[in-house]
Amino acid sequence: MTGPLRTVPAGPTATPTRVLEGDRVTRVAWLPGSDRLLGECSCGARAEGGDPIGMWQWLLAHPDHPTQVAEPDAGAAAVHVPPPHRVARPEQAAGPRTPLR
Amino acid sequence: MTSIVRNQWYVAAYGREIGREVFGRTICGESILFWRREDGTATAMSDRCVHRRFPLSEKPSHLVGDTVVCGYHGFTYDADGKCVAVPGQTRVPRTARLKSYPVVEQDSFVWVFIGDDDRSDTVPIPRAPWLDQEGYTTVSGMEPLAARASLLVDNLMDLSHETYLHGGYIGTPEVANTPITTEVDEDAQVVYVSRHMDDADCPPFYAKSTGIEGRIVRWQDIEFHPPCLYLLHSRVAPVGVLPNEDGTDPGGFHVEVVYAITPETEHSTHDFWAVARDFALEDEGVSDFLRESNRTVVLQDVVALDALERVLAGEPDGYQELSINIDTGGLAARRIIAAQAAAGAEQVPESPAALAR
Repeated sequence: MTGPLRTVPAGPTATPTRVLEGDRVTRVAWLPGSDRLLGECSCGARAEGGDPIGMWQWLLAHPDHPTQVAEPDAGAAAVHVPPPHRVARPEQAAGPRTPLR
Repeated sequence: MTSIVRNQWYVAAYGREIGREVFGRTICGESILFWRREDGTATAMSDRCVHRRFPLSEKPSHLVGDTVVCGYHGFTYDADGKCVAVPGQTRVPRTARLKSYPVVEQDSFVWVFIGDDDRSDTVPIPRAPWLDQEGYTTVSGMEPLAARASLLVDNLMDLSHETYLHGGYIGTPEVANTPITTEVDEDAQVVYVSRHMDDADCPPFYAKSTGIEGRIVRWQDIEFHPPCLYLLHSRVAPVGVLPNEDGTDPGGFHVEVVYAITPETEHSTHDFWAVARDFALEDEGVSDFLRESNRTVVLQDVVALDALERVLAGEPDGYQELSINIDTGGLAARRIIAAQAAAGAEQVPESPAALAR
């Protein structure tokens, strides 16, 4: 078991239960009432995280699961200015074409 | 590298589309001719005459018994693709043969194997039994999509888009607001995404078809068999009505929504859709309503995905995406498909011209 685990609250009666029954089933549950994900590997290892990409990376590292799930925005010292969307072809251009005068 | 996964079975057509007329459709970039033998068996072969490449699905090409006759110069092929007659001479060149394809009819679909034929027996065909099963009534169709297949996979694996793109049809606020659970069976290569809503608005799609008034329990359980067969097990019932502990569910309305996602080319897709229900089985009005409603929803996706394809086709590779919790299932599907594509690519033959040398 890695990372701090919260107690998962009992859900309503309709909360999805485990469905797939193979030997190598991984599971990611979105914890009700939060933005957090709980990942469970087929080996029994479990971890909580806040980003699906980080969670899949953690699960797919089996059997060498890292100690923690990579968190979104981790290591981002500052919010970068997003790049412009570059249009390569005229048909990609949004909006009416401005006529030349 | 190609994005099309080879060495897989794909849905090429509904069984009702294939008959005693030549029928052409491009599957995974390969032009394929389909027709039925006189005993009703479906057959598939390359849709280009070996002589001058005339499409055999193009009139005046036609069937004569269990052969197809090219409408240009009369080259004639049997049901296995072997040329059995050419005009004006008795000797048929030994190389006059069309590629034939393994074909299986199952669950109302005609499946064709794309890849190394020798491997077709080792690759399972996923099932959608409700489409051809007593106790269910099905409506279905197919819409051409001018977008790569992966965009439809992304679309269907994350149903939160229903709230925004399909509001007034199948989308309600609860869909986007309800957390999902995702499971992946690495051996069976199945992705399962569950979204269970305990107390939700009933969208018109279900209100008008089931007659339920008021709020509902709405379960969406996606079972995706990459790369191509998508099953949505949908259950609706009045709020508080759940299945019995023994699994019986007399109070629930069940709709099996099936999509077969078949690449036509790298940048276009056949979007087969079907809706099977276990209620109002004989009610033509419900069938008409569900057929029209689901087609409308599919066309809303088509418009959106065609626009997205145009944008992506004009972008350089490497634009950054952003994924959040709703994408957990879609990311799993992408990973499996990428692995399947890499495995299939190892088997890709050289171009036909190279093979002929």
